[in-house]
Amino acid sequence: MADHGGLARVLSKQDFNPENFVGKLAEGPGGESDLLVMKTKVQVLSDETAHSLKKNVYKNYFQFIETAKEISILEGEMYQLSHTLTEQKSLMSSMMEMSLVSDKAIVEEPKEQEQDNPEEETRKNLAFLLEKVEGCSSVTEVPGRHLVHNSDLAELDAESFMQIQRVHSFLLNDSLMIATWLPNRRGPVRYRFQGLYELDSLAVVNVRDAGPVKNAFKILMFPDSKMYQADSAKAKRQWLDILEETKKRKASRDKQKREAALFLAEQQLVTLTTPTEDSNPFGEEDESEALAAIETDFLNSDWIQELPEDLDMCIAQRDFEGAVDLVERVNEYLKDCPKVPAVKEFRARIDHRVKQLTEGLMGELQVSPERSLRGGPRAARRAVMQLIRLGKSAQACDLFLKNRSSIIKYNIRQLKFEGATTLYIRRLCDVFIPCLSETGKEFMKAFQDHYGCMSAFVVWAKKELQMFVSTVNRQVFGGKSSMSVIAECLHNARQQCEELSQIGLDVSFLFESLIATDLERVIRENKDQIIEGVKYRAQDDKWRPMNHLSHTDCLKFVEEMSAGGLDLKNYIYDACFINLTMNTANFSKSCLSFAHDVLLVHTPEIDHLVTEAIADIFRAEVTHIEDSIRNKNFNREHKFILKNAQFVLEVIMSKIEAAYKEQGVVFPKQLLDINGEYRRLKSVVKSLGAS
Amino acid sequence: MFSCWNRRPKPAVMSKAKTQQPAVIHKVIMVGSGGVGKSALTLQFMYDEFVEDYEPTKADSYRKKVVLDGEEVQIDILDTAGQEDYAAIRDNYFRSGEGFLCVFSITEQESFQATAEFREQILRVKNDDNIPFLLVGNKCDLEDKRQVTIDEAQTRAQQWAVPYVETSAKTRANVDKVFYDLMREIRSRKMEAIRQSNGKKIRKKESKKRKCTIL
Ligand SMILES: Nc1nc2c(ncn2[C@@H]2O[C@H](COP(=O)(O)OP(=O)(O)O)[C@@H](O)[C@H]2O)c(=O)[nH]1
Ligand SMILES: [Mg+2]
Repeated sequence: MADHGGLARVLSKQDFNPENFVGKLAEGPGGESDLLVMKTKVQVLSDETAHSLKKNVYKNYFQFIETAKEISILEGEMYQLSHTLTEQKSLMSSMMEMSLVSDKAIVEEPKEQEQDNPEEETRKNLAFLLEKVEGCSSVTEVPGRHLVHNSDLAELDAESFMQIQRVHSFLLNDSLMIATWLPNRRGPVRYRFQGLYELDSLAVVNVRDAGPVKNAFKILMFPDSKMYQADSAKAKRQWLDILEETKKRKASRDKQKREAALFLAEQQLVTLTTPTEDSNPFGEEDESEALAAIETDFLNSDWIQELPEDLDMCIAQRDFEGAVDLVERVNEYLKDCPKVPAVKEFRARIDHRVKQLTEGLMGELQVSPERSLRGGPRAARRAVMQLIRLGKSAQACDLFLKNRSSIIKYNIRQLKFEGATTLYIRRLCDVFIPCLSETGKEFMKAFQDHYGCMSAFVVWAKKELQMFVSTVNRQVFGGKSSMSVIAECLHNARQQCEELSQIGLDVSFLFESLIATDLERVIRENKDQIIEGVKYRAQDDKWRPMNHLSHTDCLKFVEEMSAGGLDLKNYIYDACFINLTMNTANFSKSCLSFAHDVLLVHTPEIDHLVTEAIADIFRAEVTHIEDSIRNKNFNREHKFILKNAQFVLEVIMSKIEAAYKEQGVVFPKQLLDINGEYRRLKSVVKSLGAS
Repeated sequence: MFSCWNRRPKPAVMSKAKTQQPAVIHKVIMVGSGGVGKSALTLQFMYDEFVEDYEPTKADSYRKKVVLDGEEVQIDILDTAGQEDYAAIRDNYFRSGEGFLCVFSITEQESFQATAEFREQILRVKNDDNIPFLLVGNKCDLEDKRQVTIDEAQTRAQQWAVPYVETSAKTRANVDKVFYDLMREIRSRKMEAIRQSNGKKIRKKESKKRKCTIL
């Protein structure tokens, strides 16, 4: 070894001169024997190098494949990223285009809107606030809050009536938000949050026009007392009316809420106290006071207070795990809380965010046409995991499988139909089967303890397989593919299907049942075709040996036939003759290839069909031979005919028997019987000769 | 203690205003049941006219320059409708006033009874038993329909240690008087407050003590 190392060093020297090297060696004392030793050494070195080269190539190739895979996944993610960015950009620009003082923001029929989809509306409206007003995020996060009216106003000093600053006032359904105008600002943010006043205690005063001060009104909100001036009498009137109307609406809403809460609390008290009614020492009022105390206690801790905001943060940063952690924590915490109104309200705020979170996660799994699908399955698994934690395993399962379906579809679409059907089918299988098996593995990883979902996977796999097989069928059986191509394709697909049993998914049965009809039809058609051929050729059969005119051509023919598994060397005579008819050779060739093909796709279910088909083909040939023997025109050819018969019935049949054996299928009796036909034909010849 | 309008630091923009407008503003609030003539009194005082049917609004505020004992001041009148559902909102109105004209109609006993509630609310919100306050019996031109006797009203006023004045928004009887009398009360309260804050350093302890009793 060390020796080889030394030699390798010598040979790999930069200024290595082979002639000098050999020359020096030849001049040396060892002479020829040294040269021979060196030769073997070089040989060994070359072998070793080749070997390690091969190993390295393999290793590098492997790494290359790994890297390519990762790159493709990364590429997919980049696509997704760029897609998301464009989406956000368009969202932002559409927000910029939205006029702040748009008339549309004035809700003409608020009732209808509230019924329609208040949450959606809310988010839209208030998201738009976030874009325009600095520091109002706490305002926008209240579920159900929406914008009712807004306009520019001038803030006046309540004493001197002098203008202090420009503001923009936003009337929400439950409060009034004032934002001061930021001069010299570019971009969408034009205002800074100044204050939010609950409508409950907001006193509005109409200021009668006095001297130069017109169109003003006051907002009394202890300890603040603010005076604002509208652009016109009409604008002021509008403000006063809408304020009044909104306050009224809120008052009636609050009243309803209070009544409902009271009713609920009473009911709960009843259920709480019913079992121990007699021994209950507390009056109803004490009880509700206690409940009220509990309700504030429960929600007072810091983390609970900050939870909604923290959740928003997590969702915004797509820290889904973190968000779900928080949700689980708060769920656990609220589990033991009494269902008092305050807790319910808090619950609603959390639920609102859980909904957002769920939507975000589902979005991860959602398939949109523009979105690249090549993002690895790990991304999907992550989303699935969190959805399961949120108790949405059914949706997760559904979306996950839909996602996988699209990936399969996408990958199949990427395949181009290039020429050979076999190649296409092989590629199709290479795409589909690993996808299915990978999905299975992923599925089992993701839905580990959710056995209920397994059936969904099985149903899905069946559907996908049906689609796959229909594609295969279309390609394989639809075109003019030859039996060999079909056989090869099906064989390939079948083998791949069997690989799925590794993940505990046995689709072979399903696969067989899906291809059975077409396969049987094709076998029958091919059989009929061959029999037709036999009959057709029978008409022209002159029972003459093949004459290839030259020895070269003859050898060429023999070569061709041997590729199909026929050895005709022993039948050559007189350089260019073959001691069989052309008909026999052709029959043998198509018969062998047919047998080979059908045996390749053989299953116990079609065993009978296969055997019958082969037997029928042979019977047709035997009929032709027997007809020829009985034909007076060929009286002198009996010996030659029998030679051909022997070739067909013994040589070819034994090859078919071997093919059976090769496929591990028992050689059927029917074919054995046909094998015996040769003896019968001989006796026919004998009887004819005797007569 | 809560009415700290005049002590609030004013924005720089305002300094110009001082030369044009009297700096002193007295804030008056009209309270009382609906239909007693609060708006009629206000409009008579403001514009010297009697409006037969003034469309009631929730709350209107008026500003007028007047000469009070030779001094030019402004009066700020808040005419409330007194039908606010939320106590919190009513409180916010009352907080903004420095003096109150508590109006009832002499032709309506119920409106007189209601004054007690208004008084109570005002005292609670302002947290001051000596808040400038006038009990006003309006519609005195309708003597034949009188339901509330002068004695009755005066007894109540004495109990509260406030003046009682009968007015007519229709004939303008005593209209100026109630507004000016109230402004005088407000002004003297303000003077007292200024005196107190000036003598604060000397009588620190006492003022502290006083604060405590108020709270
Ligand atoms: N005769 C008479 N009618 C009055 C007087 N003050 C008000 N009214 C009438 O009483 C009704 C209610 O007055 P209004 O000022 O709107 O009462 P408010 O609800 O307290 O503001 C109106 O029809 C007025 O014309 C008054 O002093 N004398
Ligand atoms: Mg009125």
